[in-house]
Amino acid sequence: MQVELEVNGNRYRVDAAAAEPLSALLRDRLQLTGTKVACGEGTCGSCTVLVDDRPVLSCLTLAAACDGASVRTVEAEGDLLDRLRRAFTEEDGFQCGFCTPGQLMSALALLERTPHPSPDEIVTAMSGNLCRCGAYEGIAVAVARAAEAPA
Amino acid sequence: MARLIKTEAVVEGRTEVRWTLVEEDSTPEWPADQPPGVVGEPTTRLTAGARLSGSARYTSDMQLPRQLEATVLRSPHANARLTSISLDAARAVPGVRAVIGPGDCPQFDGEAVLHDEPPYGGAAVAAIAAETREAADEAMAALDPQWEPLGFVVDLDQSLENQTFQDDPVEYERGDAETALAAAELTITSDYLAPAQLHNSMEPHCAVADWRPDGLTLWSSTQGIYQARSQLCGSFGLDQEHVRVICHFMGGGFGSKFGCGPEGVIAAELSRRAGRPVRLVLSRRDENLSTGYRTPARFSFTIGAGCDGRLQAVEASAVMGLGTGGWAYPVLEPVKSVYACEHQHLMTLPMRLNLGPAAAFRAPGVMEGTWAFEQALDELAEAAGLDPLELRRRNHTDVDPSTGRPYTSKRLLESYDLAAELAGWDARDELRSDGRVRRGMGCASQYWWGGGGPPAYADVRIGSDAKPVLTVGMQDLGTGVTTACAVVLAERLGIRPDQVTVRTGDTDLAGHGPFSGGSMTLASVAPAVRSAGHHVRTQLLELAADMFEIAASDLELTEGEVRSTDGTLRRPIHDVTEKLGNAWVTGSGSRAPNPDGMAVNTFGCQIAQVAVDTLTGLITVERVVAVHDIGRVVNPMGARSQVLGGILQGIGFALSEERVVDPTTGTVVNAGLEDYKIPTLADLPEVECRFVGEPDPELALGIKGLGEPPIIPTPGAIGNAVAHALGLRLREAPYTPRRVLEALQ
Amino acid sequence: MRTFAYARPARVEDAAAALSQPAARAMGGGTDLITQQHRGILAAESVVDLRGLGLDAIAAEGEGVRIGATVTLADLGRDEAVRERFAVLHQAASAAASPQLREMGTVAGNLCQQVRCWYFRHPDLTCWLRGGDTCYAQVGDHRKHGLEPGDCISVAPSDLAAALLALDATVDTSSRPQGIPLADLYRKASDENRSTLALAPGEFVTAVVVPRAPDASAYERAGERHAWSFALAGVAAARFGDQLRLAAIGVSNLPRLLDPADPLAGLPGLEQTAWKRRLLSGLAGQALARVSG
Ligand SMILES: Cc1cc2nc3c(=O)[nH]c(=O)nc-3n(C[C@H](O)[C@H](O)[C@H](O)COP(=O)(O)OP(=O)(O)OC[C@H]3O[C@@H](n4cnc5c(N)ncnc54)[C@H](O)[C@@H]3O)c2cc1C
Ligand code: SF4
Ligand code: FES
Ligand code: FES
Repeated sequence: MQVELEVNGNRYRVDAAAAEPLSALLRDRLQLTGTKVACGEGTCGSCTVLVDDRPVLSCLTLAAACDGASVRTVEAEGDLLDRLRRAFTEEDGFQCGFCTPGQLMSALALLERTPHPSPDEIVTAMSGNLCRCGAYEGIAVAVARAAEAPA
Repeated sequence: MARLIKTEAVVEGRTEVRWTLVEEDSTPEWPADQPPGVVGEPTTRLTAGARLSGSARYTSDMQLPRQLEATVLRSPHANARLTSISLDAARAVPGVRAVIGPGDCPQFDGEAVLHDEPPYGGAAVAAIAAETREAADEAMAALDPQWEPLGFVVDLDQSLENQTFQDDPVEYERGDAETALAAAELTITSDYLAPAQLHNSMEPHCAVADWRPDGLTLWSSTQGIYQARSQLCGSFGLDQEHVRVICHFMGGGFGSKFGCGPEGVIAAELSRRAGRPVRLVLSRRDENLSTGYRTPARFSFTIGAGCDGRLQAVEASAVMGLGTGGWAYPVLEPVKSVYACEHQHLMTLPMRLNLGPAAAFRAPGVMEGTWAFEQALDELAEAAGLDPLELRRRNHTDVDPSTGRPYTSKRLLESYDLAAELAGWDARDELRSDGRVRRGMGCASQYWWGGGGPPAYADVRIGSDAKPVLTVGMQDLGTGVTTACAVVLAERLGIRPDQVTVRTGDTDLAGHGPFSGGSMTLASVAPAVRSAGHHVRTQLLELAADMFEIAASDLELTEGEVRSTDGTLRRPIHDVTEKLGNAWVTGSGSRAPNPDGMAVNTFGCQIAQVAVDTLTGLITVERVVAVHDIGRVVNPMGARSQVLGGILQGIGFALSEERVVDPTTGTVVNAGLEDYKIPTLADLPEVECRFVGEPDPELALGIKGLGEPPIIPTPGAIGNAVAHALGLRLREAPYTPRRVLEALQ
Repeated sequence: MRTFAYARPARVEDAAAALSQPAARAMGGGTDLITQQHRGILAAESVVDLRGLGLDAIAAEGEGVRIGATVTLADLGRDEAVRERFAVLHQAASAAASPQLREMGTVAGNLCQQVRCWYFRHPDLTCWLRGGDTCYAQVGDHRKHGLEPGDCISVAPSDLAAALLALDATVDTSSRPQGIPLADLYRKASDENRSTLALAPGEFVTAVVVPRAPDASAYERAGERHAWSFALAGVAAARFGDQLRLAAIGVSNLPRLLDPADPLAGLPGLEQTAWKRRLLSGLAGQALARVSG
């Protein structure tokens, strides 16, 4: 079926299978392989993207349900995202980097809604993104730091 | 001049003797008094740009033109015989390009890859390559396999009863334990049961194979590109020149990804048959059924000591569940090698079970052995009426107790003191209370190998732009080795690490190198990098000497400049390199062996503070003090991250991670990340991390290594802290709410 | 995974018609539906996305509140009025699953989600609740299961169900717009009908109504780690004047109303689950303490 959607500011019209997850549409059809799929069943958070500004799991989101939606992935541009990238670098908020695109998207969603989150709010908002390398401390500090940094 | 030498290396507890090629090395050591520039400064990761923009291509991201998708049929039974399968029906499905069954696939490391008698639930039986995942799924349904279920054993005790060993039992004896135990003033006996911990690297095992008439290229998520290459050569009878293995970015391995894995062989065979590139990415479930785990183990200790707490004798056994692969990981090493104790009798029994093969998992054997033995020691401390740290101090040893060899360096006593001070150890009893939430503090020692060794090679070239390119035969799992190598090179060339480009992860780029594991990578490659950098430095200085008519010995490279020691000349390095035009200055280096006759080990101590909620049964690790002696710290930022990562995996082992096998069907019931719980951000404790070691005087660059040490003492320290908090000991990990509440019942 | 057709109707009648087709399934956020489809537990041939129906409002109604079926857990958790007047609901919605799953998961989907029993979810086994003959849990590993003997010993997973049961909520459905008590949304699975939902073919939930605000309410739950864990047990308490309502999940097949004076009544515990009795009584005590005036 035809799906029209905007991804990182670009408009696409794709022919997607009804059962196809958004993650497959992004990775296989649009070659946006930054979004990672570590479990494919809603249990890790690595596939997190923003759909109409909400952080969702692209492995469980049907591409067909994204008709008319605006999607943002780790490949997106933006000042806040750049600030997060800088903070993740400076605070060592990643190791292997496989969970990182999802971490960045959850962080972005948090800071867009809550520009100055409390430490508890950061923990809550980021607790749906597993990191097996255990980069959590750097991640939490980086999100706090990106929130403080001047735009 | 290169020469071939024989060296000894300890890899995850196994001593290997090997021949290696090393270059004569004239690089001067770093002067002891002068800190070597950028080395030891916090440095952010070189890979940040790629990893944070989504542009880093992991193996599972590869999309070659005309690439096919592969899926694997796996056995649903704990043990079965395949009685029929319709490979042709699958081949007839539109879009299917290759189908292979048992007998169609070469072996992997001498073992069957596709089984006609799959010995565990999740064992591979057939594989399909198709144009789309949907076509592959449809073909999978068409295979219609028929099974004859066979008897199975998934229980450790039953396997012991049947005496079915997967690897040879290991017996170790020194002194006369039996007599010494009978004579000991104090004896305690205790048992512990460690769970199977699943690696769950975020990137599953995966491979993309491109088989062409002129050779095979395999992108693999691997910790060992060279090992992968030799395995593929072995499986397919190819020469090294015709196999190229690439791993530019990988999403974690933790010991489960040495070599190309069966997935590499399957992808290559499918690609060979289809004449097209093939991508095979394991599902999370298949990952957890078939790619390895830390072995579950039942420990029994009988410890004899004097009233002063000095160890006299230990009898210990460990029954490990290896499943259908792996080897006898050194689970009793912490008994054998950490403390002075004259009489020991240790038995390790590696059992076969109808479960997937075990694999090394960050400090395999040693972590779970430390978890058990360090708790038994606390039981002894209690029996002797001693402070647990004092007991450990009293049993300190200055030589390796099993070989009598001296250590190249050992700062364990210092680690105890510093950890105790940082943790507030002396006031630990004040934490305790009778309320709903009970707090406690516990410690554990850390012991591991390290030090690295040959083979490791590096090449450096620098051109007119003064930005060196460093090529190292290795792969970066995400541990930050790449960045550390850039730091080491930057020091020699007087530039910033971010001006270095590091090329890794391609067997066609560099001759050979170590796999990433055993805490060996950096200690192995860094000296090679430095020596290669030194050659380039020498040539640049000679060039500068000619240009500026100052003796090379009076010149140095610092802060991006060529400077004369008298301060009269300061010119950007670029002024020298631009004269090169399109030429390069190149240098190469290799790793020299470690001194013979000495024990190379890392040491440390962790102290954990926990809070046990007696209502919910949930345990919070509030604080961990981690003090480790790892020799020289090249990049403190990366080192701290390694420590945090180890501690978190240790917390998972202690509190929530456990593979559960159904006793009646013999299949794993929690092969996904919902019921197999790894820690989240909300489980992160406050961590105080210190490194006590100075550069090891006997080792190249003084580096010992850090990958495994931080995970080793964490679970034991937590176990001891929980016992301190509750006044009773949980003998089985993980300490889930259920086990806590059952213990409190 | 089985492929299926996808429709996103704009009117309740169209959705009902689409859902009356064989092998059609209602979808809210799809977080449970899609995983079941992946694992071969469900074989839906068409999926009817209810999020086009405009059932996504939270609105005051009389002394209570009406929550549309497709309101997400995240929006429910963020609603200020709900937070102030129905604390237990706010707490349950905020504690469930993960942030992303809460952005996706809907109130009705949460109430209608399937059990999480690891045998039920096992792709290679067909247990009794899935239509087979064996309850693998009873002969195997049921350490996290319920306290109540029966054909199936799995537990109700929905945090919202506990909160809404304590709040004495009703559920409006496409064919019963006047509403039914929440407890009547559920049924015990039987040999003839293995469903735990008491909905007719094609019928779906359109809204949840909480008739009035309690004087005090609270949710207590225990998980396996500090975030993102299904409740091992969850207890919701609400006090209306001097009447107490106590409800639990994680301990029995269906969300269960507990006797505040004897929360463990009728829950003897099974071989491997006796520990949950201690947990349940602790959580119940705590929840009651928090709402006592
Ligand atoms: C890893 C994980 C952890 C989770 N943890 C928790 C937790 O701790 N607590 C908790 O409460 N939940 C938890 N959940 C469940 C999560 O909150 C649910 O998946 C979710 O609420 C279901 O919502 P949905 O809208 O996505 O449902 P869907 O997947 O869309 O639907 C679920 C079921 O309900 C049916 N359905 C949907 N809408 C309707 C309707 N209007 N009328 C009738 N039937 C309908 C569907 O047909 C399907 O059978 C977890 C889920 C996952 C994957
Ligand atoms: S408890 Fe219920 S869902 Fe689980 S195996 Fe038994 S019947 Fe199936
Ligand atoms: S890949 Fe989507 S949650 Fe794991
Ligand atoms: S950085 Fe490796 S999983 Fe998070």
